[in-house]
Order: sequence, then C-alpha cells, then structure tokens
Amino acid sequence: MAEEENQFEEFEQIDFLRDRHIRFFQRTLQILPERYSSLETTRLTIVFFALSGLDVLDALDVIEKNSMIEWIYSHQVLPTDDQSNLSQCGFRGSSHIGIPYSTKGPGVPHPYDSGHVAMTYTGLCSLLILGDDLSRVNKQAILAGLRVLQLEDGSFYAVPEGSENDIRFIYCAASICYMLDDWSGMDIQKAIEYIRSSLSYDSGFGQGAGRESHGGWTYCAIASLCLMGRLEEAFTAKELERIRRWCIMRQQTGFHGRPNKPVDTCYSFWVGATLELLGVFQYTHFEKNRSFILSTQDRLVGGFAKWPDSHPDPLHAYLGICGLALIGEPNLKKVHPALNITQRAFEHLQQLQRTWKDNCNGQH
Amino acid sequence: MHGRVKVKTTAQQEEEKKKEREKKLKIYVAARDACFAKRKEGVKDEEALELTQQLLSSNPDFATLWNQRREILTHLETVKDEDGMQKIYDSELHFLESCLKVNPKSYGSWFHRGWVSSRLPRPNWVRELSLCDRCLSLDDRNFHCWDYRRMVVKMSGVSVEKELEFTDRLISSNFSNYSSWHYRSTLLTLLHPESPEPKSPSRDPQTHSHRVCEEQLLKEYELVQNAFFTDPNDQSAWFYYRWLLGRADREEMISCVYVSRDEERVVVGFSGPVNAESSGLFLVLDGQPQRVEWRSVHPCLKQSPVWICDLPPGTISDITNEHNLTVHWSEKPTRRDCALYTGRSESWCRDSATDQELFRSELSVEKTSVLQSELESCNQLQELEPLNKWCLLTIILLMRALDPLGYEKETLAHFQTLKEVDPMRSAYYSDLCSKFMIENTILKMEYAEVRVFSISDKNLTTLCHLDQLLLVTHISLSSNQLCRLPLQFAMLQCLEVLEAENNLIEKLEGLYHLPKLEEVLLRNNKISSLADLEPLASCPKLKHLDLRGNPVSQSDGVEAELKTLLPNVTELLL
Repeated sequence: MAEEENQFEEFEQIDFLRDRHIRFFQRTLQILPERYSSLETTRLTIVFFALSGLDVLDALDVIEKNSMIEWIYSHQVLPTDDQSNLSQCGFRGSSHIGIPYSTKGPGVPHPYDSGHVAMTYTGLCSLLILGDDLSRVNKQAILAGLRVLQLEDGSFYAVPEGSENDIRFIYCAASICYMLDDWSGMDIQKAIEYIRSSLSYDSGFGQGAGRESHGGWTYCAIASLCLMGRLEEAFTAKELERIRRWCIMRQQTGFHGRPNKPVDTCYSFWVGATLELLGVFQYTHFEKNRSFILSTQDRLVGGFAKWPDSHPDPLHAYLGICGLALIGEPNLKKVHPALNITQRAFEHLQQLQRTWKDNCNGQH
Repeated sequence: MHGRVKVKTTAQQEEEKKKEREKKLKIYVAARDACFAKRKEGVKDEEALELTQQLLSSNPDFATLWNQRREILTHLETVKDEDGMQKIYDSELHFLESCLKVNPKSYGSWFHRGWVSSRLPRPNWVRELSLCDRCLSLDDRNFHCWDYRRMVVKMSGVSVEKELEFTDRLISSNFSNYSSWHYRSTLLTLLHPESPEPKSPSRDPQTHSHRVCEEQLLKEYELVQNAFFTDPNDQSAWFYYRWLLGRADREEMISCVYVSRDEERVVVGFSGPVNAESSGLFLVLDGQPQRVEWRSVHPCLKQSPVWICDLPPGTISDITNEHNLTVHWSEKPTRRDCALYTGRSESWCRDSATDQELFRSELSVEKTSVLQSELESCNQLQELEPLNKWCLLTIILLMRALDPLGYEKETLAHFQTLKEVDPMRSAYYSDLCSKFMIENTILKMEYAEVRVFSISDKNLTTLCHLDQLLLVTHISLSSNQLCRLPLQFAMLQCLEVLEAENNLIEKLEGLYHLPKLEEVLLRNNKISSLADLEPLASCPKLKHLDLRGNPVSQSDGVEAELKTLLPNVTELLL
C-alpha cells in the first residue's frame, strides 16, 4: 500500500500541468497582483512572458490577438511631426508616463517619453508571436533610437536619458537588429569587443569587464554573437571549449546561475539555451533538469517559481516552460534558443523578412 | 520577483490586506500624477524631490523618476552653495540606504548611489565602504554591491594591496566565497603582472588575460590548496586554481603547407579556424606571386583551419620540374616555405604537434617541477577524497600538461571514475576523453613518422583536431561510438582509405571533395537513406564502398540508385 502511494506521489510530482499554466498566463494578462507594482515600468516584458509562454504551450487561441496587438502598438514611441524625437523612439514599458492612448502617429511631444531597449525587444517579439506583420513599426525610428543608446565601449544604455549600461542591453539591441533585419542600429565590432572584455578568468561572462561570471550574462553574450553570426570569429576554439566547460558545470540538478548558489528554474533556460547554442546541450542530464523544474511547479495556481515551495511568477513560469521545451518535453513547441521565441514565431519572422527583401528588390 | 515563500492566510486577513492595498494605491496614483505635473511644468525644486521620494520608496525601479531626481539635483547644483549641496546629497544617500534595505538588488538604487557619490563635494568613502561591508555580510554574492565597491575603491584611491588584504580576510573566514575569489583574480593581475608578452590587440579581453608573476603564483597556489583541502567540494577554489595554472592562447599561424601535383593544388593548415577568403593569404611560386582563390574545405565552414587553392593547369604537373612555394598570411606577418622536388608527386612542410606542445598549451607554468609538485598535492587529496570530481579533473589536467602519453593509462582510469562520481556529466566526460585519446594518437603517429591514424575500439564519441590529420592517408575509426563524419572531416585532404566499421554513423557530410579517397568501409553503421550518401558523389576517385549492415542497404532498388549516384565505384558491398 505504501509503495503504491509513493508511486502515485512520484507520478504527481512529475506530470506537467499544461492547463494550469495556460490559466496562469491568462490571469497574468488580465490583472497583476499588487506586489508586481515595482515592475509597472517593465510591464511589456511581463506581457511577453505570458504571450510567449502561451505560444510554447500552443495555446495562443485563448487570447484575443487583435486587441493585444493594438495595446502593444500603443506603447510605440513614434516620431513627432517635426521628427525631433527620433533618438527617443522605441517601445515603452507601459502607460506609466501618461501619454494618451494611441496606436498611430504622429508621436506626442513629451520631454521624458522614450523607449526602453528591453521593451522594444519584447514588444517586437510579442507582435511576432501574435502573428502581426510589423507594418506599423516605424523601423527607421526604432533604429535611430537604438543607435543613440550605444556607448564608446560597445555596451548599451537602456534609455536615452542614461541608465546603467551592460551586456543585457547589447542582447536586446542585437535581437532588435536581427528581427528588423537591419544592423545599422548598432556598431557590431564595438559590441563584440565589449562582449570579449566581459569574459571572466573562469570563462563565464560578467555584466561587463572585471565582473563576476553569471549564467544570465553568459546567455546574453553567446546569444548576441549567434544572432550577429560572429560566434566563431569572436572566440577561438579553445576559448569556446572553456566557456562550454563553465556552462556545463552549472548543472547541479537543475541549473544555477553562479557557482555555489542554489539552483533556480530560470537558469534551465539561460544556461540550457547557451549550451544548446554552443552545441553541447545534449551532454546535460535531462532527467535531473526536468525533475527540478517540475519541483518548482505550482500545482494549484500554475506557473513555476524559482525554488520549490515558493510563489510562482511569470518570468520563472515562462523560462521554466522554455527549459522543458529545450529537453523536448512533449506537447511543447520548440524554442529558438537565441531569440527566445518559438520556432513557429521565428518562421513567421523569416517569412516577413523574405517579403521585405522581395519588396525591396521589386523597387529596383 | 524574488522567490517569496508561501504563507497561509485566512479569508479575513485577505480582506484586510485588500483594503490596505486600495489605500496604498490611491496614495501612489496621487503622488505619481503630482510628480509628472511638476515635470511637465519644468519645476525642479525640493518639493519635486519630496514627491519622487515617496514613489521611489515603494518602487525603486521606476527609472524615469530617478532620472527626474538627477535632473533636479543637477539643477540645484547651479543655485546652491557647496555646503547646501553637501546637505542635500547626504540626505539623498540616507534615502538611498532605505531604498536598498527594501530591495538590495535594485539596479536603479545602486546606479543612483554611484552617481551621487561621484558628485559629492566631500565624499565619505569610509562610510561607503562600510555600507558595502554591511551589505556583503548579508549577502556576499550580491554583485550590485561588489560592483559598487569596485567603483568606490577606484574613486577613493584605496590601494590594490589593501583590497587584496580584504579578499584575504573574506576568503579565510569562508573559503567558499566565489565572488571574493573572482575579485581577487582582478586585483592580482594589477598588483603582480607577468612581464608583458607581445599580444595581438584585437583578440584580447581587457582583464584576466594577463597572468601573474611566478613568485606570487606560488603563494597563490598555497592559498588555493588550503582552500580545496579544507573543502574539496567547493567549486570556487578549483576554478581559481585552473585559472592560475593556465595561460593565454597562442596566436594563430600557418602550421602546415601541402602541395600535390596530381590535383594541382595547395592546401594550407592554420593552427586554428580563420577566415582566409578575403583576408591576405598569398601564394608565391618560384618567386612569382600567383593569382589564386582560396576556399575553405566546405562551403558551410566560413571559419576553418584548412584552406585550399587550385593552381592553373600545367603549373606544377611536370614531375621533372622542381618548385619552391611560399605562403604568406598578412593578418600576422607569417609565412611558410615548401619545396616540391623533382620526381616527387607531393610535398609538405609541417609543425610537429610534439615540438609545438600543441596539446599541452593549456598550462604554462615555467617549471615542470612546479607542475609536478602540484600534481603530488592533488594526488594526496585524491587519496583522502576519492570521489571528488574537481580533484580528478585537475589531476587529469596536470597529467596532460606533464606527459600526455606517459600518463595515458592513469588518465583513462580517472575518466572512468569521473563518469561514476559525476554521472550527470558522463556524456561530456566521454567527449573530453575522446579528445584526449585523439591527441595521444596524433602524438604516437608523429613518433612513428607515418601517415596512418588508427584509433579503433576506444569508445570515441566525437571527432576533433581533424585539422591535424591533413596529411593522413589511412584512417581507422572502427568499433567506436561515432554518429557522424562532420563537415570538418573534409580537412583530411590526403585521405585514401577510410575504415569506420561498427559505429553509429548516420551522416557523412565531411566526405566532401576528398580528391584521393578510394576506399570507404562503413559496415555496420546507421546510414538510412540515399540522401545521406550524396556527399560521396563528390569524391572522384572512390572505387570501393562497403555498406553492409546499414539500414540503407535493405531498401528496394538501392543498388541501382547507387550505381547512378556513384558511377565510378567498381566494388559495392551491400
């Protein structure tokens, strides 16, 4: 009897509760609890987690795509009539500045309204996931807004008024250029130099030169180079071997982000995807990874938390599901490891890019 | 979103909380609107500071508000005197401390504190360092705090020696302190640099590429050994140790030039992958620069160690003529010469892997005796802690640095143990072991001075260093666990016979335009479709093909299809 109960418990522990997660993301898109108020300014990233999460779960049909697309477009900082705000263009995180709701131009002049590079990145991803053709994205304005964010050392600010600058925003910039198929938005060579300078003595990447290596920044470094198509140019074969080694040692059961820290669900994606991009993900232990991720699954409200017996949140829910997708969990869509959207959304992007090229050629 | 642990609440408590939240929300919205009203009007006064302060207390990542604050403060600098500003900034720092208490990981708060500190008329660096100490005592892995500390140290001119002492204290009170070891690595190279070697500027990371001088190195070894003897399971010390033992990569150079009259081509091997398509690779034949186009061994390999060019027909085909070739690479001025003698159909000039210590370059240390003594220490530890994987990995590394062939048996035994004590990464270790076996086989081949590479029945899971096999004519990979012959296999430009029976091979992408390949033995593999065999059609001299024991040999009509695909093959075994 006891044995049967144990087996049943074991089974309960390892099954993936797809419907709960779908409802979790649906609720995320409807209303956020008060404790998320500090994330108000980054709301678009939370929307991205929910949308992409639903996409990986193959459940986008539960939301009203068109109204979502409109809402996202309302966050685009568009050029004003006199185009004087081009360096501020991009996407906002939310309506917290108070610009009146509008999905079309021209932009409303406001001294402190500007895009945020991570919101531009997640905004574009979200539009792609929803099947939008990006025709209402003012590409030239976005690229102009992106260019002013890059510093001499190759890293990026998040906003034109200035902020901290580091490798995270290089990743956002590279993704934006990749999606828009236009690398005039950044100086690739400088960005590569900054990435190289961020390689630490132990062959992980820090946020910048001299900083401690970390799974998240390592993902930003490697994914950026892959999007730029410069991975093997930027690092020698030996350096790449050492980077692989640092990354593969991050698995304890699931993955942690830094040595001697506890494992955390989100690193199953950050480190997992890095290993995938470096061609060695198949050397990790899938079962232990899966068991850990599922131990952080919230069986009641859905979603995943960073640790077992903690509250789930959209970031860990999304990245936990992506982590499972990497190991081939059934009924989950494949995730593009560098762009962090489904393969399906990626193929939609490729189709769009082909159309843009054709239109361009047609004009000559 | 930082890991909140679950706590049960009653329905009543929920209701009370809800009311509290609604009240808070009202205040929040009112304050926010007031802030932006001020902003719109362009008012930059202390009341505006008050307003933004209210909001930032509960929402420290509201970047726009921090920016607004900075604007106000910058403006106030123009109207207040030094004492006035000092007071304002002091209270700013006080406010920031309370923000950091709420969220010690807020980018916005730390950035702002850094901004304020750099503008203070009379900064109090002692207080800043003490703030860092307190913060680190609560969480010694808080990288925001570490980054801030580095900034404070830089701005206040604290000496590197003092900071090194700081890491000494942290490390000796808690060896398992990865962040401290990391910080130490950055300080050490500043204080005790190795004498600078000429390095290529474009490929250098700014920090950590500069090694430490030997005297200090020996002291560091002692410190690290204390750490890993105390707690062998802590990664920190082992990673630091590996870094201490290591050396910057060597520069890329031409390692081999091969020329063949039959194909009238020149093949150049580099020490690592390069892109020679557009960049300065020049061929001079008998004193005359040649107009040639260089291509990689496979179109998909844009970065490759091996590059090929074809000479105009008749240039070197007459075996009675002697020729002198020089290959120049303008990226780093490097050149190789190669003489093609009368009566010889081919010629080459190659760096020996042994002389170059190609497979030992991981570890630099000047004296073998030092490495030997490190190995002894690790062996001692291994006796006490036989299941410790870090120790095993380090021993393997040291053995390969000292004598790869001499320690081959022990190395294989240690890999076996490794796979047992760290089964999660056993596939990775199999791969690593395959690499070392290939390296040893290359060294043995050199000693024997033959062009035959034989590595059968060695549990190989992967192929590597294929660029080192450029001159090989016969290769045996039988009875291993290989799944494919990857693109890089095309670097075996001299290959005549390939034996690869009893593997798990599905793909043959690397058998691409191998000009001398005559015999391919693939019995008992996993080739399943005709499409997988297509690369073979690019090998003009292929005569003998053994596909017995492959799924593809069972398909209908395969024999006829193969005769069409590979018309030159005279002996086909299915």
